[in-house]
Amino acid sequence: MPQRYDAIVIGGGHNGLISAAYLARAGLKTVVLEKRHVLGGAAVTEEIFPGFRFSIFSYVVSLLRPEIIRELDLPRHGLDILPLDGTFTPVPEGMGRPAPKDGNGNPIGTGDYLWRVNDHGRTVRELRRWSKMDAEAYEEYGPLMVDMARFIKPILAIVPPDPASIDPRPLLPLGGLLRAFQKLTERQQAAFVQLMTMSSYDFLNQWFETDPLKATMGASGIIGTFQGIRSPGTAYVLLHHYMGEIDGAFRAWGIPKGGTGGISNAIASAARANGAEIRTEAPVARIQTRGGRASGVVLESGEELEADSVLSSVDVRRTFIDLMEPGSLDGDFEAEVRRFKFRGSSGKVNMALDALPNFTALPGEGEHLRGAVSISPSVDDMERAYDDAKYGHFSRKPYIDIVIPTLVDPSMAPPGKHVMSCFVQYAPYNLDPSLGGWDAQREAFGDAVVNRIAEFAPDLPSKILHRNVQTPLDIERTTGLTEGNIFQGELSLEQLFFSRPVPGWARFRTPVRDLWLCGSSTHPGGGIMGANGRIAAMELLRAKRRGPGRRGRAA
Amino acid sequence: MTGPRPDPRWDVVIVGAGHNALVTAAYLAKAGLRTLVLERRERVGGAADTAELAKGIRVPALAHTVGRLRPSIQKDLALASHGLSLVAPEVRVFAPSPDGTAITLWSDVGKTAEGLRSSSEHDADAYPAFDARVRALGKFLDEMGRSTPPDIKAPGLGDALSALKLGRSFKGLGRDGSRTVLRVLPMAVADLVAESFETDAVRAALAWRGVRFGAVGPWSAGTAAVLLSDGAGNDGGAAGETVFAKGGPGALSAALAAAARAAGAEIRTGAEVARITSRDGRATGVVLADGEEIAARGVVSGVDPKRTLVDLVDPVALGPSLGWRAGNIRTPGVVAKVNLALKKLPVFPAAGGDAGLLRGRIVVAPGIDAMERAFDATKYGRWSEQPILEATIPSLADPSLVEGAKAGTHVMSVIAQYAPYALRDGGDGTPSDGTWDAQREPFGDAVMAVLEGVAPGIGKLVSHRQVLTPVDLERQYGLTGGHPLHAEPGLDQFFVWRPLLGHARYRIALERLYLCASGAHPGGGITGGPGQNAAREILADLRRRA
Repeated sequence: MPQRYDAIVIGGGHNGLISAAYLARAGLKTVVLEKRHVLGGAAVTEEIFPGFRFSIFSYVVSLLRPEIIRELDLPRHGLDILPLDGTFTPVPEGMGRPAPKDGNGNPIGTGDYLWRVNDHGRTVRELRRWSKMDAEAYEEYGPLMVDMARFIKPILAIVPPDPASIDPRPLLPLGGLLRAFQKLTERQQAAFVQLMTMSSYDFLNQWFETDPLKATMGASGIIGTFQGIRSPGTAYVLLHHYMGEIDGAFRAWGIPKGGTGGISNAIASAARANGAEIRTEAPVARIQTRGGRASGVVLESGEELEADSVLSSVDVRRTFIDLMEPGSLDGDFEAEVRRFKFRGSSGKVNMALDALPNFTALPGEGEHLRGAVSISPSVDDMERAYDDAKYGHFSRKPYIDIVIPTLVDPSMAPPGKHVMSCFVQYAPYNLDPSLGGWDAQREAFGDAVVNRIAEFAPDLPSKILHRNVQTPLDIERTTGLTEGNIFQGELSLEQLFFSRPVPGWARFRTPVRDLWLCGSSTHPGGGIMGANGRIAAMELLRAKRRGPGRRGRAA
Repeated sequence: MTGPRPDPRWDVVIVGAGHNALVTAAYLAKAGLRTLVLERRERVGGAADTAELAKGIRVPALAHTVGRLRPSIQKDLALASHGLSLVAPEVRVFAPSPDGTAITLWSDVGKTAEGLRSSSEHDADAYPAFDARVRALGKFLDEMGRSTPPDIKAPGLGDALSALKLGRSFKGLGRDGSRTVLRVLPMAVADLVAESFETDAVRAALAWRGVRFGAVGPWSAGTAAVLLSDGAGNDGGAAGETVFAKGGPGALSAALAAAARAAGAEIRTGAEVARITSRDGRATGVVLADGEEIAARGVVSGVDPKRTLVDLVDPVALGPSLGWRAGNIRTPGVVAKVNLALKKLPVFPAAGGDAGLLRGRIVVAPGIDAMERAFDATKYGRWSEQPILEATIPSLADPSLVEGAKAGTHVMSVIAQYAPYALRDGGDGTPSDGTWDAQREPFGDAVMAVLEGVAPGIGKLVSHRQVLTPVDLERQYGLTGGHPLHAEPGLDQFFVWRPLLGHARYRIALERLYLCASGAHPGGGITGGPGQNAAREILADLRRRA
């Protein structure tokens, strides 16, 4: 006799755990099934080298919804986010201006740098060093973006309406949005429209002239996408950067104590406290359907579990193509699922260091290493990195976002040693066939990353004790993220809001009754945000209250 | 100074005599407004122009087909009676590859599909459905294009109605159709064609219209919308329109000018407008370069929005915020034009001796990646060494273009991408020394090299060659940045925000100042759409109550 639950959640990623926590809190008998031995999906901390612990995949947090932190009381369950201050962009000699001088007029190092910190005044002074105009523009730009972020934030909590629906009720939130839009000044409205349609380069280019500034700010527009900073549609991701909240402070980024796995463990602890059951090393083989509705799952072990509702936090392709009985789906829907684009474009290189690297533009172990170090010296470099990927090669000179967690959380490595996390773009999932696949290119890719950083910190190679390279293929193998896309599907304009993941099925429900989606394939997309898992759980609970029979897609 | 002012001699003065401005002038004059059109050049038509390349040899100077012209304009203005005569060849597109194969798109959908069968059964079967989809979405976009963008700030009754109408046509698409529109419009055209076709050459031949005239590659978001808009309001479908005006595009402009004059409009050429005058935030007239002042109840600009606001309007009247936004209107011209006089018809081996195939648009776009690579160069301020081409040989359909020349002479009109307006010396083997005057002929040679690949020996047939770079297009036609569409047709300069949010309803910046050309909704191309829409709005404001 199979075990029976009110709700089964497939996948123990942060969204799956959040859904489970909310469902259990509402009194539903809930179980989470995770295939791996460790919880968190892409938000995991693992000791891949003795004594060195890494946030192997996702490595910073800024988007985790404050209401979730509040409602699940995550701090009490161990969530502790350490602030990450600033972004340091080294610029090679010749590309920037003459090297900055110290008090005695001697050059500090070789090359130049652009160093932005959370201290607005300091950042503006630093910008003035590059361009007086940009320093002034920055004073206007920041507040405008904060206003924009405030305006768009409610969208993160909205269940996307179906524009083709005859039922006007789901459209109501849009009306509210329109009214809020009308309250903005014309200039704010124009900026918002540009953010939703422009390339991050074109958007920033209206304000700024400093090349490394445009390259580094623009970089936040392409993270996790198969787009360049000059590709239309990348500007809106700039907003996410300003939407990140830590204790309500806009634009702050942080590192969870104990790595991103620390977030997952805190959520799991909250879910358990609410009564949810969490099983690891319990990979789901198939979603069971009976009479056109999801009735439970079969584990790879053959064990069967039954439930009134099944929530899948794995991506839409895994859910419907891999876990459903072939032929059990409506043909049009299946075609639309197969059309959903993943196109993983990023890789990760994790390093165990004997000591900190020395960046020649600003030598020493200063606080510039305590934030993000961004290898994005110029717009052309960013764009060429994308061009390589467009034609099936990993970037020879990639964009790299470096974080050294041990500077804010020494517990991640043995005393005096460090771990360095390098997020890398571009690394296209589909390499040109002539390259022989990722298993043949993994170390060449790792070398390209080390060499690129060594252009700015020549002593890095001598400080590396261990190196762990995560290609999109590795990310897919380990986490199950299709094509290694870190957002469970590309955040391109045609895959957002009421088109995510499938037009007409953006309301977390699916054509299979009682089968729900709660992962990043749904609105509002990826990142350690948790909104997807929370809204999905809320929708399911509302549907239960309303009683059976209501469908997501307008009939 | 306020209070009543003496009624000026003109109701409207129109800056520029491009085809949209002439359309507006004709409609306004027909409605009884005293209309004056001022053109800087000696000839009307702007980019819809026929130029003499050599003695007795005339060629489409910039635009070369006119099939997107709104049928309602042809009818309303009786253009046929004013001398417009159109020729529409059976073949729409002939896309040859250097390997001797070719894709041919016909006006007949079935014939096109059968032709595709030799290279791919799958593509042949997919074509009719794709064509139907392009037409369905084009129909919706046409309805959108004919309506004035709604005023999001204060939706009045008219807007509510137009929104409703739009809503109905939206619903008319059906549930899946309306979902498709929302999904497809922001897409990259490369993804759109890949959803239906497997052959790279077919994908490229169809995707070309998504990037034509734009500073984008097939992988850029929003290019699907450009492709679909291109088919809005004409029977282009997936193949796109291919219609020639007898006598070249200049003949269309001449017919429009004749219609405008017949309706009572006055058109002055050689009259360059230096400034748009205003008082108390209201446009009052223009000042010519020679100092002549002309007052009018309303001023209509047929030039691009950036030039209108930045160069012609008083910056104080414009204000810093709007001035800043106007300065940021994107006009990245990437199109060059190469016009050739040929001693005889060139031979395209892929056409297998069938000259009939050469009567349409000859598109040289070897594949999606090839198009994208050609585009990549522009990002670094370089021109494409393997440019993408759309060539026509209008003299095949219209011998009058070469009647003054030796028998057998033909003219070829070539639109070449990508040639960015702003060249820079990348210092990395770039062919650019930073100035087009030095790069003009080298780029012309690159275009000829591509043509040689599909029409060996064509170089030896050239008796005259003219290369118009984006800088030349700006100098000769006043197109800011050399952009043929007045403003980039991106998602960021579309519908309610073309050219600028809050100024998309043909009324722009000042009271009684109007925009009537390609910089306004529904955008560029020889359609007359913006001109017709603008006339409707201007009349709503200025029509004299008899």
